[in-house]
Amino acid sequence: MKDHAATLRKTAFSLLALVVLISAGLQFYRHRNLREPVVLGPGVTDVKNLSDYFDGISGTINDAHVYVLEGEEPGGAILVLGGSHPEEPAGRLAAWIFAENAVVQKGRLFLILSTNRSATTVTRLGGAYPTDYSIETNFGSRTFRMGDRWSNPLDQWPDPEIYIHYPSRQELAYIDIRNINRTWPGRPHGTLTEQTCFAMTELIKKEGIDIVIDLHEAELQYPVISTIVAHSKGQDLAAFSSMMISGMEGFNIGMENSPEALRGLSHREIGDHTDAISLLLEAPEPFLDATRGRTDRKLLLEGKDRFIVRAGKHGLLFEKIDENGWPIALRVGRHCSTLLQIFELWTEEKADRGLVVSGVPRYSDIVDRGVGAFLKNPATADPNRIVYE
Amino acid sequence: MHRLYRVVVAAAVVLMLCSVVSTAQPEGPKPELPVLITSCGQSPGPAMLKVIFMRAKLEYDPIAYEISEMASSEDLKAGKEAGTPFKTLIIVMGASLKGMGAAGISMEDELSRTEALIAEAKKQGMTVIGSHIEGMKRRSQGASAGDTTDEQSIDAVAPFSDILLIHKEGNSDNRFSIIAKEKNIPLIEVEKNLDLISEIQKLFHR
Repeated sequence: MKDHAATLRKTAFSLLALVVLISAGLQFYRHRNLREPVVLGPGVTDVKNLSDYFDGISGTINDAHVYVLEGEEPGGAILVLGGSHPEEPAGRLAAWIFAENAVVQKGRLFLILSTNRSATTVTRLGGAYPTDYSIETNFGSRTFRMGDRWSNPLDQWPDPEIYIHYPSRQELAYIDIRNINRTWPGRPHGTLTEQTCFAMTELIKKEGIDIVIDLHEAELQYPVISTIVAHSKGQDLAAFSSMMISGMEGFNIGMENSPEALRGLSHREIGDHTDAISLLLEAPEPFLDATRGRTDRKLLLEGKDRFIVRAGKHGLLFEKIDENGWPIALRVGRHCSTLLQIFELWTEEKADRGLVVSGVPRYSDIVDRGVGAFLKNPATADPNRIVYE
Repeated sequence: MHRLYRVVVAAAVVLMLCSVVSTAQPEGPKPELPVLITSCGQSPGPAMLKVIFMRAKLEYDPIAYEISEMASSEDLKAGKEAGTPFKTLIIVMGASLKGMGAAGISMEDELSRTEALIAEAKKQGMTVIGSHIEGMKRRSQGASAGDTTDEQSIDAVAPFSDILLIHKEGNSDNRFSIIAKEKNIPLIEVEKNLDLISEIQKLFHR
């Protein structure tokens, strides 16, 4: 009798575990396999892959697409990185808007929308993040994968006890061996994340990239926010862009120098290891703040949270916030306008290496009309002009 | 009548003299080129001022301005001894913990360097301009709880400046206005940093 009851209990728990396993497995599977269409805009002249620059990345989840927009007039080359940290969606969406709308008259624009594609397939473990989010458009909605700051452990595991950055040998947090903004410039025989950086470093060198701009978002409790972080080679460009944007675009953006002592970051290592100027843009994302309330899609897209507002009243924030929050349109708009100003000022200074781009909305356009107004309808697009991320 | 005529003429002469004296009075400190630009707190402010000076296109042989994040009183002495003294010192106020960390220095180091720099500048008769151009981000809004380095930087520079050149948003609590009033320092405020270009042109061309 006693044995029978124990067997029943074990069976019930096993079944319960199986239900949880299947339900979680399905959620992980759906997240990892959610297809994100990119409707190639009129300016996209080629779609390459990172493996075109480094074969070692071929066949891995991080063999990201590289969208090339080449103008008729020769000029410079600029690389924009979206999705280094896919839990910061404004960077990916801004790059998406460029891919679907931009037309280049002069020079070449390279776009990567999923710089760490592996990190788009997982969210913060135990963080109860939504696995996706949808942007409303006039034809319905477009759904994107929400991601994490780190590569998916399914793709790179286990983490070491200690992470020694290559080549500086600086000791970094062990988990940051999966953080693509701590593994620059990368190495060919390293981890997946290091190999991804190495592939992009090869791209930068082989394509003669003049400027790399890495798009990010930051919590309001982090001091490096609403700013352009600039390698010393890009100080003048960042300083003047900051002033032009603050004077003309309707929002303020500051400037920070890239610290030499902090290794592995794009704004440090790309500038040090290639001829390119490296810049990193930060927009405010309340979703990432530790003192947030419910962690849902609404917070991700509207950026409204009364607990963070309260933290601001206690002087704990480095950026302002009120009941209007930080909607995704403002954050994407900031990135788009900052990119355009940097392109314009660079072209003004270096005419022979210039990049002239049209068709991309600025901050005020995106704030007025929303992000969805600048996303194309995959259902009515030419199937030959659709690529999946 | 003759006497009245003489009184009128005398009064006119006195008025004319007063007028001459009035126009001959200094309008305030007159900064001259060349300029040494540094910061007190290793903020990126000097890089922003460098761009402003580039755009202002001030001409001076051999060079109108120089940026030195770690400028010291020794640099000023060396310039004077070499016969190429700086005439104006601009110190950008506001601290960056990242910037100081990168330079391997503390706020105390910055305060001592600044104090020595201002003392030498005054000794050489240079004009000292205190500048704060990064708004509230380089004040309380940009500082962690308990981090007073931005305010220490202001205290080390603003009261000892001959001119204050300030972005209006960073003066929204009247911090600089109060110092300017107490110390009788001319205060130039700009709404946008781009306006600094014309202000710099006016300051050095008048």
